[in-house]
Amino acid sequence: MSLDLHKIAGQIQGMASGLSARRAEREASLALALNTLSTAQADVIEAKRTRSQTTFLVAGLRGSVARRHPSPAPPSDYAALAVDGSHIDVDRHLAAWCYLINLGTVHIRYGERPMAELGSLPRLYTEDDDMYLRDPGSGRTQALEGGLLGALRAVEELRALADLAEQSPSDIPTLALIDGSLILWALAGQAYQEFVRTALIDDMFLPAMDRLRELARNRPLALAAYVSLPRSTDVVNALRLDERLCPYERANCDMHCGSLSAGRRPCDGVAGVMDRDVFGAILDYGECSDVNLTTSSIVERFYGDHAVHFFYMNAGEEIARVEIPAWVADSPGLLSLVHAGLVDQCRKGHGYPVAISEAHEQAVVTAGDREEFRVMVETALGAHRLPVYTSLKDRSKRLKWL
Amino acid sequence: MALGDNARVGEVVESSSTGFVAQSYRLYGAPHLGALVRTGGPYPAYGVVHEVATRGIDPSRRPTVRGEDEATEEDVYRSNPQLEHLLRTDFRAVIVGHVNGGETRYRLPPSPPPIYAFVHECPTAEAAAFSSSTDCLRLLAGSGVAALEEVVSAFLKHVVAAQSDPHAFLAGAGKQLAALFPGDFRTVESILLRAAP
Repeated sequence: MSLDLHKIAGQIQGMASGLSARRAEREASLALALNTLSTAQADVIEAKRTRSQTTFLVAGLRGSVARRHPSPAPPSDYAALAVDGSHIDVDRHLAAWCYLINLGTVHIRYGERPMAELGSLPRLYTEDDDMYLRDPGSGRTQALEGGLLGALRAVEELRALADLAEQSPSDIPTLALIDGSLILWALAGQAYQEFVRTALIDDMFLPAMDRLRELARNRPLALAAYVSLPRSTDVVNALRLDERLCPYERANCDMHCGSLSAGRRPCDGVAGVMDRDVFGAILDYGECSDVNLTTSSIVERFYGDHAVHFFYMNAGEEIARVEIPAWVADSPGLLSLVHAGLVDQCRKGHGYPVAISEAHEQAVVTAGDREEFRVMVETALGAHRLPVYTSLKDRSKRLKWL
Repeated sequence: MALGDNARVGEVVESSSTGFVAQSYRLYGAPHLGALVRTGGPYPAYGVVHEVATRGIDPSRRPTVRGEDEATEEDVYRSNPQLEHLLRTDFRAVIVGHVNGGETRYRLPPSPPPIYAFVHECPTAEAAAFSSSTDCLRLLAGSGVAALEEVVSAFLKHVVAAQSDPHAFLAGAGKQLAALFPGDFRTVESILLRAAP
């Protein structure tokens, strides 16, 4: 028996009713956020941020919070590079200890000499060194699976993008795109020991960023990460520091408001509002916001010269968050390339960058592929007279006997 | 148009005793309806193209409109170079003969062309040689493919251009068609009228 949809239908109705009832409250929060935004002084908020201790992530404001930039015309000739990835995680029910990462790569050239190259780079990881990260000092290990494997995949996507950029012609402006965030969120917090961050960020991620920046020194090449339907609240959280929402000269959330229940803090008037709600109300099609800085601890501690900046953009059907490293944010030419190129990519891709969309199509691993992969592994092991065992739980799920 | 000897146009991707499907190497590069093609393989098969189709390579992705802001259809492809890699053109051919032991036979081959067999569009001289016998019409006329009259007349129009005496060729073809479509004078007349040079 699968999910009993009749039993869940009533609960879905209840959820919809609850959301509907909170609609007026959400609209009031958005109105307050917009009102605050319209008069907020970014430099005052930024100065307050640097002397405050908040319990939420606050954007580092570099310009105005409400300024809008119309899209420049895209270059007549430009190239879009994109990499996206999928993976098959370690499965303890599978007869072999392994995982697979499939990277989709795309190079599309527009203008006088249009062309496209689409490809995929599937790789099976089976060696001991593939399966664990090791601390050379203590010998401690961390298995590469689950969320950490997702982080490794993100790192491999950036490395493949650097390879792609190095192989691409340098004669035209080039936009190098990644799907999702440049921030390796899985490595934030206390979940992993320091040697894990060293191995993935210092030894793999940052060298790829360095390669891209080195290319950008000699040719017009810009790196950008595109977040569709972002749930981030960095800018709205900056508004929380505005004097109308936070009366304290030096905000300290734990000290001033730690004893208040959720919803009772002075700044909770904008609770639940996301950045995309605010910028959806003020940006017209093709326009983007000013560039801000992320103050995520992992970026501040590890990214150095590649500090992640971001802006929001009206891509037509949605507000997207675009993340760029400092060397793109600080270059008006590269920033303009990112903005104009992404608007053009979204126009060609029905609201989503076409190069990323095609990279995803090259990378995707379907449910059928996963099953076929399992069969191939078992067949190969059987052909070498190796034991093909699986857990009884897995066998029970597959056979579904009565 | 006279074709060179190296007019390789695609490869077999589906195959059976009576026909095959080939994927064209170039998008929209399939031979025209009614063209005579020949496969590789142990029993090279002659086929007449009776259907050409272009669609997305991934059946789960349907093409969608892209040209609202473009001036011409060519601009749609120029602005979206990846389309060349995401669309494919296939053509279906009905087998009308084969080569066995160096001889052309107007019968089905003992085994169908293998998958990935190369498909050539027959050059003028080969088309003339193959159609020198009106037996070449027998398998095609009995194939039951859709729009049969159109396909037969298109085939005749292709091969008639290769004949030294087109009128005599069409007269012979008419007699063969009259035997293959007994009592169906209107069909025979319709085919011949459309095939005339």
